[in-house]
Amino acid sequence: MIEMFQYEFMQRAFLAGIIIAVLASVSGSFIVLRQYSMMTETLAHSALVGVAVGLLVGSSPLWTAVVVALISAWTIEYLRSYYHLYSDAILAIFLSGSLALAVIIVSLAGAFNSSLFSYLFGSILSVSTEDVMTMFIFGGIALMVLLAFYKEFYFIAFDEEVAQTSGVKVKVFNFLLVTIVAVIIALSIRVVGTLLIGALMVIPTVAALQYRQGFARTIWLALGFSLLSVVVGMTSSYYFSLPSGATIVMAVLIIFIVSLVINRR
Amino acid sequence: MTFDVPVFDVKNLMLTINEQTILENISLQIHKGEYTALIGPNGGGKTTLIRLLLGLQKANSGEIRLFGVLQKDFQNWDKIGYVPQRAAQVDLNFPATVLEVVMMGRTAKRGFFGREREEDVLAVEEAMQKMDVTHLKARLIGTLSGGQRQRVMIARALASKPEVLILDEPNTGVDIVSQQRFYALLRELNSKEKLTILFITHDIGVIADDIGRLLTVNQSLLTCNDPKEAMSCAEMSKLYGIDAHLLHNHHHH
Repeated sequence: MIEMFQYEFMQRAFLAGIIIAVLASVSGSFIVLRQYSMMTETLAHSALVGVAVGLLVGSSPLWTAVVVALISAWTIEYLRSYYHLYSDAILAIFLSGSLALAVIIVSLAGAFNSSLFSYLFGSILSVSTEDVMTMFIFGGIALMVLLAFYKEFYFIAFDEEVAQTSGVKVKVFNFLLVTIVAVIIALSIRVVGTLLIGALMVIPTVAALQYRQGFARTIWLALGFSLLSVVVGMTSSYYFSLPSGATIVMAVLIIFIVSLVINRR
Repeated sequence: MTFDVPVFDVKNLMLTINEQTILENISLQIHKGEYTALIGPNGGGKTTLIRLLLGLQKANSGEIRLFGVLQKDFQNWDKIGYVPQRAAQVDLNFPATVLEVVMMGRTAKRGFFGREREEDVLAVEEAMQKMDVTHLKARLIGTLSGGQRQRVMIARALASKPEVLILDEPNTGVDIVSQQRFYALLRELNSKEKLTILFITHDIGVIADDIGRLLTVNQSLLTCNDPKEAMSCAEMSKLYGIDAHLLHNHHHH
């Protein structure tokens, strides 16, 4: 286990992984309780469009992913809150639309290669020092905002209308939450991949919910599960030369199944 | 009659949805300290009227003032506690202890990072005591009975120290004994705490002796200032859509 840390890329990958574990589990808790789980999948696919654009024009795919995920998040939230369209239908439209667009852009760029593959499933090899810095700074900001307003997000998740009548600016906080989630997803796709980041946001919380605790304890449990699966997943990714996103998600899936079994009613 | 500013001042409220009239020509004043029940047939617009008062829905025309301030400019929402109809039917898997739910009532008053100040803790303890849920504070909301959950939701509304309490059919899914206890509690909140109370109910027989004023909504609004007379009121019977005398007799058996 110690041996893999001799490599600088592994040190970077673990640092990035731990940042992502914290961000994904904490933001994921609000998303799951808000019954918005599909939002993570959709925004991840939108982020893929950003990656494709980045590969096409030769700029940093991380930045273009953030921009496209944000535009997508705001548009979805706007359609949902102002046009009262069915939320799940909007998410489905954006999910498949984004994937189609991403494939076309990537094909035009002639970049349907290993580079895209690493963005789909995550790769610990591709994490640069600059990526870690970007994750640290913007992930840190996202986490601070999330913690600053956690009681508002929690109240809205529990009862949106009562929150509104008690003076919480529900529309503002809904936009803020999807903004934070879009940023976190875009930052995470290097390590976890666009197809798998949704799982890391949703599953730790669902596993934690099986223990039937209050909100504060549920978040801590989700955070613990998330960190454990990132450590186990990245270690096995290194030893078995597998995509890190896939091994992380398998680890968190096992935690979920164990939680389900030991807490069965 | 006092000259204080009415808590709710509604003028000529009109709401149509898809060319169907839901509410028309609603004018209404509710003053501080009043204890008012809102009755009417299903689909008559009771819940809609409450939602309009709370700004959850917009009327086509008319004016609503809260504490003398036009609704769109109103900021002091913590003065109004609201317990919605489905309060007793929360998501049973939601990870929330009773304490966490009641603390939600302080959300708008707490600062950044949700720091709990002493006044927040005191207000929450006081609200839990009033509603007799202190002994349940570590329990998960999903493990409570309907009546207990209802009391927790009211404790949450009370935690912001409101001046008005609005309840939409607070007794849905609550047993008879809890209901009677519950109405005794409402009466106490109104008389001792001087809380203005407005609530929707179907249990007109149970509460007719207590309430100060009865409002009947069936598209339009009718006020009976003496609820004891309400039952023999012919218009009330017509608006309520059932035989009022039957209901009255039932109450006395």
